[in-house]
Amino acid sequence: MANNDKTPNEIDGFWYRGKVTRRTLIGYGATAGAIGATMLVPAPWQAAFGQAKPYKIGSLQPLSGAGAAGGKTALVGLQMAVDRINKAGGINGRPVEIVIADDESKPDVGRRKTEKLLVEDKVDAHVGGFLSNICLACMPVFEENKVVNMISVCLDTTLTTTKCNRFSFRVHDYAPSQAVAFAPELVKMGKKWHIAFADYSWGQSTRDAYADQIKKAGGEVVGTTGIPLGTADMTSFLSKITGNFDGLFGIFFGKDGVTIGNQAFDLGLTKKYKWAGDGAIAESTNLPALGSKIDGFIGINRYIPVLEAPFNTPAHKKFFDEAVVRLKQIDPSGPLPDRYVQANYEAMNALKIGMEKSKFRGREDTDKLIGALEGLEMKEGDDFPQGDKTLRKEDHQAFLRQVIAEVRGGKYKVLKVIDKDATVFPSACKFT
Amino acid sequence: MDLLQQCFHGMSFDLFVIQTLNGIVTGMILALVASGLTLIFGIMDVVNFAHGELFMLGAYMGVLVLATTGSFWLALILATLIVGLIGAALQITTLRPLIGRDPLTTILATFGISLILQNYALWQFGPVARKIQEPYTGHFNLFYLEYPWYRLVIAGLSAAIIGGFWMFLKYGKYGIWIRATTQDRVMAQAMGIPVPWVHTAAFAIGAGMAAASGVLFGPLVGVNHIMGLDWVLKAFIVVVVGGMGNLGGSIAAAILISLLEAYASMLGCISPAQAVIVSFVVLVLTLLFRPTGLFVPTPK
Repeated sequence: MANNDKTPNEIDGFWYRGKVTRRTLIGYGATAGAIGATMLVPAPWQAAFGQAKPYKIGSLQPLSGAGAAGGKTALVGLQMAVDRINKAGGINGRPVEIVIADDESKPDVGRRKTEKLLVEDKVDAHVGGFLSNICLACMPVFEENKVVNMISVCLDTTLTTTKCNRFSFRVHDYAPSQAVAFAPELVKMGKKWHIAFADYSWGQSTRDAYADQIKKAGGEVVGTTGIPLGTADMTSFLSKITGNFDGLFGIFFGKDGVTIGNQAFDLGLTKKYKWAGDGAIAESTNLPALGSKIDGFIGINRYIPVLEAPFNTPAHKKFFDEAVVRLKQIDPSGPLPDRYVQANYEAMNALKIGMEKSKFRGREDTDKLIGALEGLEMKEGDDFPQGDKTLRKEDHQAFLRQVIAEVRGGKYKVLKVIDKDATVFPSACKFT
Repeated sequence: MDLLQQCFHGMSFDLFVIQTLNGIVTGMILALVASGLTLIFGIMDVVNFAHGELFMLGAYMGVLVLATTGSFWLALILATLIVGLIGAALQITTLRPLIGRDPLTTILATFGISLILQNYALWQFGPVARKIQEPYTGHFNLFYLEYPWYRLVIAGLSAAIIGGFWMFLKYGKYGIWIRATTQDRVMAQAMGIPVPWVHTAAFAIGAGMAAASGVLFGPLVGVNHIMGLDWVLKAFIVVVVGGMGNLGGSIAAAILISLLEAYASMLGCISPAQAVIVSFVVLVLTLLFRPTGLFVPTPK
């Protein structure tokens, strides 16, 4: 039998096809010319704004690795906001250009890419951040470079408490305010709770917030079970959950939300106990993979893709319809918008209002921009389809409306709407 | 004393039995993933970094076939065959030209394939996780839990696939070719065995096994573009601990590591993250004291 293995020379030949002839040279020239001609065609914003210098807005998102699915949808929200802003004449007459960086779902990469955005790309401000551990790693970089950072997804409590800094703002909710809103309802469902949580910064800080608020509301947390982030088979951890309590409360997001939803059901935990948790478990993008196993789950969320009250406004309908079209372009299954789309959309719009109020020209006006954003009142409408918000001056944390909803048959049913004023939690931030 | 009490707080015979079952079930899935990996390494000396993506691709194929035919079993068979063929094509186009070169080139090539397949899946199927409906939804009572029959089905099917593969290697003509190639590539070629095609077949079988495990495990976690990452790292540990290229060793190591992790998660004195570290501790100890693998004699 002949040896079919190739010799090194044959393999080299596979890659190197021969000397450059006049014909190939002309071919290369034609290709280069075509690329060059394409580059001469002005970008859409150049056609609309002439020579106005664009604002450069950096956005760190997980576009590969564990958080990639969420990062992709988050970017849809940001792009929607920027396109809308540019279509309406930009900010202060200048267009907005997004500079996107992929943090690869890793804190060290995230920090390096943030430094690149701020030092080399010289962005004017930043809107983004998805995974809490990456947001935490990058917070000092914004402070060192004195650049405004609009956190658009990260939920770790300490971002606006013990690790707060005056350059970072969170335009969406955080665990303590959700816990304040949800704990009284949880205690009505049952007095004793067991918390299962994603064992990393966000999960741990959210667990502490709920343990505290459930106790204040007259209930009790009888046990907690941490499960490492990204665990594919949670069964050995979930099998430990037993005892005399009324409800199981889950704190997970993304694919971990799908895993716990499936595996807690498979082990009978969601039938034996009341089943509630952070709305991220049953995010609209998770529902197809959860099927009927998530039926009966009650979660709290700032945003769910429904057109019933309180989301029955024309502004939300407009946002919803456009998001559906854009999401279909990145996922053929046609997912509905989730809170990551909403939060990125609204964080960019909040920045726009701050930049307009402060007549922001560039980084030299960062202090003015911070002043404009502190205490910003955001009114429900096209910029903020989710609802009214207040960006508190003391810790740069927003307070907004929450909805408690049940999932059944792959659909959400709003059970209760909590007004933003009922979600306020005292500030625990001291800017240095 | 307090530490001991803290460690064994809440531990019971019931929990011990449950965790033993959990360890065996998880171990069998891991063994199926690792078998393909160890086969590819044993035959070709290729560390296949794209194995997790073949697992993921199998699950996505399962989703597509299930949506078209409505049959889980057909999805399992077709996904295995299709990904097996894709594996063969990848081997012929990417790995075969690299035979005889520095092993680093094959590592880089499979790593590149892994990135391409992962991003292709994200582009093609989008960020929303998909569902594979399990064929059995029944439960039985296991102490205080309702234990799903499907988990036992997975363990049984994994054992059957591995057992069938072992029989093929032991008694099948082409299985004997594979074993001969593993033992001595040059001598096998001298005896008329078409070594390059044995390599291709081994890669295809390994890819098919990864795909089968992806379809089997899909109902428990949902299907997404990074689902292979969770398993492939552990599968690498299993292959090293069991002995590179040693099929029996990989199966034993998969069950050992899964059992140790399941037992460690019972201990109250260590955090969940530390329970997961157990497999890495076993890996380090193996490399230090039995570098050829726990289930392979250390050369004198």
